Amino acid sequence: MKRDSHRWKWILVSPALLVLILAASGPLLIVAVYSFLSPGNMGGVAWDFSTDAWFRVFFKRDIFEPENVTLNADHLAVFQRTIWLSLQTTVICAALGFPTAWFIATRPANRRMIWLFLITVPFWTNLLIRTFAIQEMIRNTGTLNTALLWLGVIGEPIEMMYTDFAVLLGMSYVFLPLMVLPLYAAMDKLDFRLVEAGYDLYASRFQVLRHVILPLVKPGFIAGSILVFIPSIGAYVTPRVLGGGRSMMMGNLIGLQFGQGRNWPLGSALAMVLLVIVVVALVFYLRITTRETGGRDGQS
Amino acid sequence: MPDGDGQSGNEIEIEAVGKVFGQGDTAFHALSGIDLTIRTGEFFTLLGPSGCGKTTLLRVIAGFEHPTSGRLRIKGQDVVGQAPNQRLVNTVFQNYALFPHMTVAQNIGFGLKMLGRPRAEIAATTDEMMHLVKMEAMAARKPSELSGGQQQRVALARALAPRPRVLLLDEPLSALDLKLRKEMQTELKRLQVETGITFVFVTHDQEEALTMSDRLAVMNQGRILQLGSPHEIYHAPTERFVADFIGETNFLTLNVIAVQGRGADLALPGGRTIAARVAEGLTPAVGTTVSAVIRPEQARIVPQGTGELSATVEGAVFFGTDTHIHLRLSDGQPFTVRRQNNDDLADPAKGETVGLSLTPGALQVLRG
Ligand SMILES: Nc1ncnc2c1ncn2[C@@H]1O[C@H](COP(=O)(O)OP(=O)(O)OP(=O)(O)O)[C@@H](O)[C@H]1O
Ligand SMILES: [Mg+2]
Repeated sequence: MKRDSHRWKWILVSPALLVLILAASGPLLIVAVYSFLSPGNMGGVAWDFSTDAWFRVFFKRDIFEPENVTLNADHLAVFQRTIWLSLQTTVICAALGFPTAWFIATRPANRRMIWLFLITVPFWTNLLIRTFAIQEMIRNTGTLNTALLWLGVIGEPIEMMYTDFAVLLGMSYVFLPLMVLPLYAAMDKLDFRLVEAGYDLYASRFQVLRHVILPLVKPGFIAGSILVFIPSIGAYVTPRVLGGGRSMMMGNLIGLQFGQGRNWPLGSALAMVLLVIVVVALVFYLRITTRETGGRDGQS
Repeated sequence: MPDGDGQSGNEIEIEAVGKVFGQGDTAFHALSGIDLTIRTGEFFTLLGPSGCGKTTLLRVIAGFEHPTSGRLRIKGQDVVGQAPNQRLVNTVFQNYALFPHMTVAQNIGFGLKMLGRPRAEIAATTDEMMHLVKMEAMAARKPSELSGGQQQRVALARALAPRPRVLLLDEPLSALDLKLRKEMQTELKRLQVETGITFVFVTHDQEEALTMSDRLAVMNQGRILQLGSPHEIYHAPTERFVADFIGETNFLTLNVIAVQGRGADLALPGGRTIAARVAEGLTPAVGTTVSAVIRPEQARIVPQGTGELSATVEGAVFFGTDTHIHLRLSDGQPFTVRRQNNDDLADPAKGETVGLSLTPGALQVLRG
């Protein structure tokens, strides 16, 4: 099939993907193989070669007129939402993480450890519990709506559960420390005398931020973005609890195939798609962010 | 003051500036009661030992630190509370602080870019500055690809490019080896004369301070001890610390016999009397003991029985251009004479008794 060969080409030209496959070869190989088999009756797989799962990732066949093939809009919508929510989460984490990391990095040295320690506190509690806590906050009869109603700010509860907003809120909260920590590490290495040099040379606060600080903490942003984006793409618990069936992400779609859907090959094919999205995004991201530093020795 | 044209000749006026770090028990007075006027277009040097507050004073002038007390005016305008980016003052930092992510040209053009100057002007000024510091060939390099001396020159060009009124230089030469250092000293002086910019230069190297400055201030423990031309500071130190910090010197403890105006007559060991200058603001009382200094090159060894003093030779140390002869005066005080090795004078033998002739007017009575 045309699409398959295209995909394989991609794998061949992508050494990063090769490394990934070798490193996680076992489970990955199984998933890859499963995606080319047929679904078993009670879940599992039947050992018959089939590209049907791959076909169904992207296309739908009309039940009554099998030759009437259309794009699988449901799946594509989930892919699109997954990528879009993950990008938004990364941007939100960067926007919130930067001032947080800056705050910590500018504390006296003996206080910084305390703040870093506090940043990691949420990790002590199970993710599921924290996600349910957010649900408790934002559901129609939850803390936030009750308070706003009581204050008379709103007349009716705001519907927040099972929306993209809820998923975004949950993921930003969960992944924020993964942005703060590498950003802090980059800022810790920042020579604050360079900031002073910027001010000395007539830069405004904003110009110092844009021309001195941001370029110098860029490695922290790159690391942080990768650390947030990858788990966001594969998020399962947060969209499951806060997004429900209405705001489903790829993780949930895959989970569904292995559970109720009883279509392991389709789940496997979807998992492979997820992997490809991550790798493509990574390669693309690293290309654009390291472009100028890549050519640094070009001149003399 | 020699040029005495008042306000218009003063670039920076510092009045009773103090800077305290911390509070309560941990309070540390980094600067106390600094009074200082820096004139337009002069090469002014702050000289003092490590930790005496030179960098702190420079940072106050640049606007990175706010003085705890006192006033600071630049060109007659009060600048306390003004941010560094508002002051027409640029700094060459102690460690250069070049932007590592920018090329040499970008570093030099940074100030003009921030000032919103047109591209063409930035490019032209950058080229001009790179020419001035002889870095044209390295315009596209990053700071990490430069040697210490080259980085220093870029830092200088970067600070000069926006044409500040005042350039603050914090020990810019301390990281360089001796030869490069000498070269850069000449170059700095040339740049200062060519641009006419007021330089405030910080160093703890007394020779550098003496050779480069129009005027200098000697600092210790957050205070200015003496301010004057290199000549005044060297030949007429007012305090023991200044005399000791700059060059080599002989300290003598002597009795005051008579006081007249700005001078005093002191009794020398062996019975003779000598006229000495007295540091400003000091009126020694007749009959008291004072501390006086004289430089080693202001005394000559003469045949025994002549000269004002008599001394015993303890040894001689050869320094190439000159020889230091260590002596002991008749009352036991040590004394060193520096003699230029321009003729084949034989070193006096150890244990020999010789006479010492002091340059008239060279002896100076110190405060404290
Ligand atoms: N931010 C600060 N907090 C507390 N003390 C400080 C601070 N900055 C400087 N000091 C103290 O003030 C004193 C003067 O420091 P400064 O950096 O001005 O010295 P310096 O004369 O430039 O010395 P060096 O020749 O070593 O550079 C030092 O004792 C220093 O410890
Ligand atoms: Mg210093």
